Amino acid sequence: MKKRLLVYVLLAIPVAALGYGAWVWGRIAREFDDRHWNIPAEVFASPLELYEGRRLSADDLTRELRRLGYGPVSGRIGPGLFRRDGNTIEVHRRAFTYDGGAFPEQVLHIELGGGRIAALEDGDGSSLPIAELEPMLIGHLFPSHGEDRIILGPDEVPQLLTESLKAVEDRRFDRHWGIDARAMLRAAIANVRAGDITQGGSTLTMQLVRSYFLSNRQTYTRKIREALMALVLELRHSKDEIMLAYVNEIYLGQNGARAVHGFGLASRFYFGKPLAELDVHEIALLVAIVRGPSFYDPRRNPERALARRTLVLELMRDAGLIDAATFASNKDRELGVVTVESRRAAYYPAFMDLVRRQLRRDYDDEDLAQRGLKVYTTLEPMTQAAAEQALVGELERLQSAPGRPELEGAVVVTNPHNAEVRALVGGKRTGFDGFNRALDARRQIGSLVKPAVHLAALEMGRYSLATQIDDVPVTLELDDGRTWSPRNFEDEANGQVTAVRALAESLNLATVNLGLEIGLERVARTLERLGVEPRRPLYPSLLLGAIELTPYEVAELYTTIANGGFRTPLKAVRAVVDGRGRTLRRYALEIEQVASPESIYELNQGLVQVMRRGTGAPAGRLLPAGLTTAGKTGTSDGLRDSWFAGFSADHLVVAWIGNDGNASIGLTGGSGALQVWARIIGSVETSSYDLPPPAGAERVHIDYRTGLSTDPTCPDAVELAMPASAVPPKAVTCGSTNTRIGSRIREWIRNRLQ
Amino acid sequence: MTSDERAARCAARCATRRMIPRAVSTLVLLSCATVAACTTSPFGYPSPQPGSSTRAPSGSARPPEAEPAPRSNASAALLEQGREARAAGRYAEATASLERALRIDPNNPLLWIELAEIKAADGDRSQAREMARKALTLAAGNPAIESRARRLL
Repeated sequence: MKKRLLVYVLLAIPVAALGYGAWVWGRIAREFDDRHWNIPAEVFASPLELYEGRRLSADDLTRELRRLGYGPVSGRIGPGLFRRDGNTIEVHRRAFTYDGGAFPEQVLHIELGGGRIAALEDGDGSSLPIAELEPMLIGHLFPSHGEDRIILGPDEVPQLLTESLKAVEDRRFDRHWGIDARAMLRAAIANVRAGDITQGGSTLTMQLVRSYFLSNRQTYTRKIREALMALVLELRHSKDEIMLAYVNEIYLGQNGARAVHGFGLASRFYFGKPLAELDVHEIALLVAIVRGPSFYDPRRNPERALARRTLVLELMRDAGLIDAATFASNKDRELGVVTVESRRAAYYPAFMDLVRRQLRRDYDDEDLAQRGLKVYTTLEPMTQAAAEQALVGELERLQSAPGRPELEGAVVVTNPHNAEVRALVGGKRTGFDGFNRALDARRQIGSLVKPAVHLAALEMGRYSLATQIDDVPVTLELDDGRTWSPRNFEDEANGQVTAVRALAESLNLATVNLGLEIGLERVARTLERLGVEPRRPLYPSLLLGAIELTPYEVAELYTTIANGGFRTPLKAVRAVVDGRGRTLRRYALEIEQVASPESIYELNQGLVQVMRRGTGAPAGRLLPAGLTTAGKTGTSDGLRDSWFAGFSADHLVVAWIGNDGNASIGLTGGSGALQVWARIIGSVETSSYDLPPPAGAERVHIDYRTGLSTDPTCPDAVELAMPASAVPPKAVTCGSTNTRIGSRIREWIRNRLQ
Repeated sequence: MTSDERAARCAARCATRRMIPRAVSTLVLLSCATVAACTTSPFGYPSPQPGSSTRAPSGSARPPEAEPAPRSNASAALLEQGREARAAGRYAEATASLERALRIDPNNPLLWIELAEIKAADGDRSQAREMARKALTLAAGNPAIESRARRLL
């Protein structure tokens, strides 16, 4: 009996070992061979397109190149380097892929002048119609746990790195079977002598297994599994494959809550440039960090990191990887680690949040985390930087007023032509992944609604912006018996005013009277066409903006107005490409005409007057001279929200300022958000609002106060566009000045003849 | 000037344009063949002068120094790319090229109508119609664009 039990036990041991071996084998086959490790989707900004005539200054281009990790040199340029000579910039652009297309490395010769690109040539002096810089990597879409990495292919890993890793971490890597007994023994002896763990003795294979499969707990069973798995890995894979996996997998630092894995990402994290461009001392520093990313953190413990880097350089020299001269020239170099601030500048949590939300419509989290997707977005780092600076700076300034509750803000910048989101700021702590006010702060829009009221009137054909409307007090009895008596901000009624003046000066009484005249239902339907759903039943307070929208929704509404009445959902993602470079999905431009182009054009001429004569005029001092813009202020009840929405030809900016607890902030749209808006428009390269008039619109000059046709030379003349049938009769006088009779008669005859 | 006179003058100007590199010449010829008012290029900028453009190296499309034509080179090249992709039936790629061109030259009705025609060829009737409408709002006084747009409405 006892004998049989012994036989069973003796048999069971190899069976169990075999079973365990098979399990390890299977697990490695399943997880490692499939390369099914988590490769979070890489997210890229919009590439900077270069072409003759593009608005761009030499300073902006220099900043953009630095953001992309290009280094300035005075001598010969190579990939990743640029040379600036006054207004001429020569860049050796790196090779990259974009949206499935491959772009080889290329020398670009860019001449700038007058705020534009004057000439663009390649290295041979042939002119190029268009060229692009590689898009900036702005982040990764993560699964729930915080890991970050950039996966490198075999040709992207410098040999000096792999050879140095062997020299420092695992000298017999090319010969052992995953386990190096001699090294382990030597390490054990050294540790006993030192009374502390100074040497690991783990092979690169074991380090890889530990990082990839095992938890960080130090136990005996773990050590055995580690060795067994290393052995299996070596049996199944070549040394090159194991080395590549190691380079992509190993833990090299901590970026806030995100673990930095792999040398590709570590190179970006520490030096702000790709691995292939690292100098000898930089490679040595990364190899030094492997041993203890926290202990040898070059930012927090620079002396320790420097000492270990010197040791690594010595080992590299002793192994014959670098010569004595190279050693000497590199050992005294500075660590060269980029500051955390410059890295934080490239962290756009609010925009990434938007990207994630837009992708979630088509992909689940698993897909985004595990398929190695590349996501090409619309973000413009330059515009984003301008928006962040403007909001943060302006909030700081406004906050200094005594007794003001804590201010917060949000900014959305779009390209009104195609509804692409150029920049998005979700709050004053721009690097903080918190409440995204641009997408989630739903606030009363106040007078931002007024253009919709005027548009509804204009589309009827009976009204123009020259029409006189009553800016007189009104009291309404609501369904529940309460009364409502709106007032103008300045608290005085102006009698008869032109519609253009009512819009420009944001007169509440005139707007309410106009809205009641054309009917709430008509206004609501116009809003619905523009993509805003007012709550029903409708109340007259809708006419003064008692409707809650997020800054993002306001940007969508105004983008439709700015681009001539074509509605387009805002877009943050252009294309998604899979791990093999195939385009999975393009988010093509889609438009829908939702308003009459003539009416929208006329409305926009009115919004230009907001900036010239009305509530937007204070922006003038912050804008370049001669820049035509259009926009509208918004102030909610009790001064709780300060809004401004406005646009030039190619930038639409919505700015909001308020308090998270909805307290009164004592700011109007003009004294708060307008300042942020103007700073942004003033600092991006942009052109005057210039939508060409549609066929049915006739340009006329009317008197701002009387609404009669007038001469362009009259002081109160404003240029509008309206259907010929709506052109008002000619004024007898030019305000108080007499108009020249001759021109008036000519004008009258011309009008009659048409 | 009657439209016949315009067309005649247009034809005369077009005949002198053989030396212009392909990307620009395609556009100019197309605009001349179809647009009666040929005093400006379809991009709304002055047309490149034939004599000066021969100075540019072959294969490029550099406008003459005297009359800088901002943006038009780049969008012309992209339009050409889009046409090649469309001719090969690669509509997604053609769309991407046209969208890029529109980022540079957004108020150009020619780009909008070409994009509308790509949509139509790709079977997207509704976007073809909307984009034709967009082209119409920008094409005031450009009968060629207008008639191409009406065909899609």
